[in-house]
Formats: sequence, structure tokens, C-alpha cells
Amino acid sequence: MSNDVAPKRLKLRSKPSRTADKVFFAVAKAAGYSSFVLVAAILFFLMLRAWPAFESQGVVNFIFGAGWNSTTDPQIFHLGPMLYGSLLIAAIGVAFAVPMAISISYFISFLAPERVAKIATVIVDLLAAIPSIVIGLWGLGVFSPVAAEWGRMLSEALGFIPIFSNAVDIFLRSPFIASLVIAVMIVPIIASITREIFSQMDQEIIKGAMALGGTRESIFRKVILPTASGGIVGGVLLALGRAMGETVAIFFVLNLTFDDFNWFKILEPSGGAVASLVLARFNEALDTELSALLAAGVVLFVVTLIVNTIASYIVAKAQPWRKL
Amino acid sequence: MTDTLAQPRPKNAAPWEKLGSRVRFASWITSLVPAAIFVAAWLGLQLDFMAALLAIFLPIQLAFGAWAGFYSYGRKGVNDGLLMVVTFFFSTFVLVLLASVIWSVISEGAAALSPHFIYQNNRYITGTTGLEIGGAGHAILGSVIITGITTVITVPLAIATAVYLTETRDGARGVVRTLLQALAGLPSVVAGLFIYSMLIVSGWSSQVGVMASLALIPLMLPTISRVAEEALRLVPSELRNGALALGAPSYKAFFMVTLPAAKSGIVTAVLLGVARIIGETAPLILTAVIANETNANPLAGGMATLPTYIYNFLYLGDATSLQRAWGAALVLLIFVGILFVGARVASATRVGSKPKRRKK
Repeated sequence: MSNDVAPKRLKLRSKPSRTADKVFFAVAKAAGYSSFVLVAAILFFLMLRAWPAFESQGVVNFIFGAGWNSTTDPQIFHLGPMLYGSLLIAAIGVAFAVPMAISISYFISFLAPERVAKIATVIVDLLAAIPSIVIGLWGLGVFSPVAAEWGRMLSEALGFIPIFSNAVDIFLRSPFIASLVIAVMIVPIIASITREIFSQMDQEIIKGAMALGGTRESIFRKVILPTASGGIVGGVLLALGRAMGETVAIFFVLNLTFDDFNWFKILEPSGGAVASLVLARFNEALDTELSALLAAGVVLFVVTLIVNTIASYIVAKAQPWRKL
Repeated sequence: MTDTLAQPRPKNAAPWEKLGSRVRFASWITSLVPAAIFVAAWLGLQLDFMAALLAIFLPIQLAFGAWAGFYSYGRKGVNDGLLMVVTFFFSTFVLVLLASVIWSVISEGAAALSPHFIYQNNRYITGTTGLEIGGAGHAILGSVIITGITTVITVPLAIATAVYLTETRDGARGVVRTLLQALAGLPSVVAGLFIYSMLIVSGWSSQVGVMASLALIPLMLPTISRVAEEALRLVPSELRNGALALGAPSYKAFFMVTLPAAKSGIVTAVLLGVARIIGETAPLILTAVIANETNANPLAGGMATLPTYIYNFLYLGDATSLQRAWGAALVLLIFVGILFVGARVASATRVGSKPKRRKK
């Protein structure tokens, strides 16, 4: 129908003719494809060394079973509690971080005067640049005692709920503290994506909603949040991937328990984290255990790669103005 | 000064910016009274700060916020008041946490810092040795060397990747972009395990400095190439096409027109990339022995870096060890701060702003 009417647009299909140009584009292309090679190489070499562990433990047992002991015969290396602990801490950390990140983005984008907003932006961005070992140091030296006290109060006030019960009366090195430390680390990640989406929002729509008699709250709930939800979800997933891969900070504020699942008692000092397990066992590990640690690395890599790929897809969809 | 407007602007030209007296009265009451009650309850009843904050301050503040909304705007203002209170509460909480991190590093770190802390190394130092001797000099040197090697390898690769994403019309660009995004979230410990399994288990190399540099490449690559891609994309296509129309080959158009135009963005990308890896700990622990002595040779012997220095003393856990860790953390944070400020300054000079005139 209308296809015939529109004049056909001719495409300029020029290929680089000069040798120098060919080299230029070939180098760029090679660099572009190097990230494929990198991901493939990471998977290949980790799998190569991890294979003995997968073989001796069985893939399903390795991922879902419990127990980690190199002194028994046969040796047991099962990742279940660590993997579950990683997910638990990441999930609680995200649950703490999301309201804080959305609040600070809303504050910066819509409430604060320009100068305050600028300062707050710098502080939040700077926090994203603070190394995780420094956060770990702060978590161990400054924050843990304080948060343990919060945990004690929480347990005394709400101990009848199983989640907050604590049978051992030690509140340090619990998943609760680890997830709060993680929350401090991932707030800037979620906040930076949320803030960018808030700042790119169509001001006309917001003004229109105001003219129709909307209040701050109703505009936030019915206009801003639905528009930004895609980006927020993507940011949350990115943060989830980051939280699961976090190593040193968790290593210092969490007591790793290899043998049992700590399903929900977040105030008790026992939890798990795959990345911290690697750090904790690496120096003492001999062949089979080393192979098991590399296998743990494979599992961590695959899980975070999947989460991050989905996340970056969603974020890219939610930011159409970034498309070429 | 003469008035440049033909007619003087009426005094209430922006009436929406003037708050009514009811609103102002309500917001003063709302911001002062709950805080006063909170301080009185906290000091008077000797309550725990956090308990008082959550059990006394927040409910009262919420109630007052709702009242202020109702008093100023009627029933539909109630939710507004609640929203404001919740937003301010969470934002303040975040900012206090962040300020606590920065403040504790500065205050604790300054106590450990001294001139010899900057240049002495860790020889003959145990966890309980006093702060009179010993320092992080070897770790600073190690950080500079390892980060430097990584930067030298990664920057060309990352910029070439950015060129691939912006200057070519290859079909796989979308996939590469998504993959790079996903790589940005690569757990750092996996990067360490990767180099360990590829080069160290196989016996190619022992745990030396250059292995740590290699392990940092996959962490630095996505940061630089993503920011550099943004910078290259901001260069107006007229510039590019103009150069091509003048008969320049593509590579010359890139190196002589596009790259100079995106220079500040590229510098930002590199600085952010360095800031990203200078604090990485886990891959360094797996790939390089944490040395106690100064070692400037990345090909032999162990090498300490600032993050592994902190890790080491944090692990020992004695009081003086912790002080050393705080001191090194302050040095590390200063490095990160310089990079961060540099990146902000570089990115403040935008692409497309007027170019500097050459002096003749």
C-alpha cells in the first residue's frame, strides 16, 4: 500500500578501502569481540579446574547439599548453605536499600534546593567509589557493635516472631548486620540509576498532573513511580548481583556456617556467602578443596552473569533516551 | 544599575514560590516540635538512641507531618505530609550512614598517620608493634605499580571497545554492550579465581604482582569502555561527517577530530576506571602474596597493596593493627578522592563547549 508511495531510501554501503582504515576497524572489532573471549575464557578455565570437584561431589549435591569438610573421608564440599546465605543477605540488603535509595533520589530530584541537591549527589556518588575493604573496616570497627545492639533490641521487642528469635544471645556477625553493610554499599547503585530516570522524566506530564489537582503524594505514586519502575527494577537487580558477589566486607562481619542452613534466623551469628567462603578457605585449601572453591566461583559467576544480563537488559529498556 | 525590562516585573511574579503563612507556620511546628520531644525523651528517660528514634521520634514526626499537611492543604495534604516525612527520614538516614563511614576513616586514620607511615615498610612489624615504626610505603608503591600495569594494558583495549561500539556498524554491538554491562557486575573474587586457575594452578607463574594486574583487567574494562562510549557518543556527528567529507580516512577522522573532541570524557573514563580497581581486595589476595617488604619488581616475589595491607591488619585484629588498617584506609580514601575529584573536574568541561583558542 503506502510502501510504493514512500521513495526508497538508498543506503550508503561503503566499506573501508584504505589499508589503514581496514586495520583501524579490525582493531576496534577485535577489541569489541574480546569481551566475548573474556567471558568464555573465564568460564572455560574455571570449569577446567573445577571439574574434579563437580565430578566427585555431583553437580546437584554440590549446589544444594550442606556441609564443607576437607578432613573427612570422603571429603564433603557442598555449597548449599553458602549459596542460600548469599541470596538471603542480598535480598535483605536490597529490601533495606530500596526505600533509602528511592527516598534520596526523590529528595535530590524533586524536593531539595539546587545547592543541597548538588552536595547530596556528590556524597552519594563518592560513596559508590569507596572501596569495599574500607566499608568492611567500618563495618567491623564502627558499625557492628552498634548494629548488634539494634539486633538485641529487635530480638527483645519482637523475639516471639521466629525471624527475630535468637537462641544463642550473641548478636555480632549475623546476616542482619551483613545485609545492613551490604545495603550501605548498594544504595548508591540503585540511587544513581533511579536519579537519572527521575531527572529525565517529562516535566510536562508532572505539571499536567499538578494542574489536574494532583498532590505531591499522588503524583509520586501514580505518575513518577510507574514511569520509573522499569529502571528501578533493573537497578535493584544490578545491586542484587553486586551484593551476591561482595567478598571482603561480608567476610569481616559475618560468621560463616558451612554445615547447616540458616533459613530465616537473621539475628543469629551464622550465615553464608559464596564469595566470602572462597576467601575464608583459600589459604588452607589443597587440591580437591581448591577445585571445590573454583567450582564455587563457577556457580557464583553463572548466577551473577544471569542476574546482571537481565538487569542490564531491563535498564537499557527503561532508558530509551540512551539509545543511538 | 538600570532596569533592563521595559516594565518592572510585578512583585509577586512567581506567586507559587511564596508559601502561605499557614504553610510556613505548620512546617516550622512540624520540624521543631517532634525533634524537641525526641531530645527530651532521649535525654530525660535515658533511652537508647535508636530505640527512641524509631519508637518515639518517627511516630510523632509522622503524626505531625500528617497534621501539617491537613492544616495547610486540607484532607488531600495528609498523604503529602507523610510522604515528606518518610522521604526526609530515609534521606537523612542514608546521609548519616555515609557521613559516618567517611568521618570514621578520617578521624581514626588521622591518628595513625605520620610521615614514616607513608614511606616505611612492614619489615619486623607484628600485629602488636607500636606505631612508632613501620608504615604502608611498600603497599602504596605496590598499589601504584599494580594499578599502573593494569591501566596501561586496559585503557587501549577499553577505548578500542568504545570505538567498536560507537564508530562501527557491526551487528553484534548490542550484545557486546549488554555483555559489558554484565561484566561490570563481575564478582571481583571470580576475576581473581580466573587468573589463579588459568596461570597459577597450571604452573605458568607464581603469585606475583603482575598476576594481580591481570586479574584486575576484567574489572576495569567495562567501567572505562562504558564511560568512554558515552563520551564518544556525545561528539556531534557533524564533526565526524565533516572530517570524512573533507576526504580524511576514518582512522584520521577519529584520531584528529573525534578523539580530541571527547578528550575530557575519555580522561574521566580512565580516572573512574582507576578508582574502580584501586580498592579491589579479593583478586589481589588470590593472585599475589602479601609481602612485608618493599618490592618494585612485579615479576618476582610478593607485593602488598593498600587494600591487602588493610586486609592483613584487619585479619590480625589487635588494637595497633586496627589503627594501621585505619591509617592505610585513609591513604586509600585520599587516593580515591583525588581520582574522584579529577574525574568530576574533567567531566565538567563538556564536549561541545567552546574550544580553547590557541595562542599564537
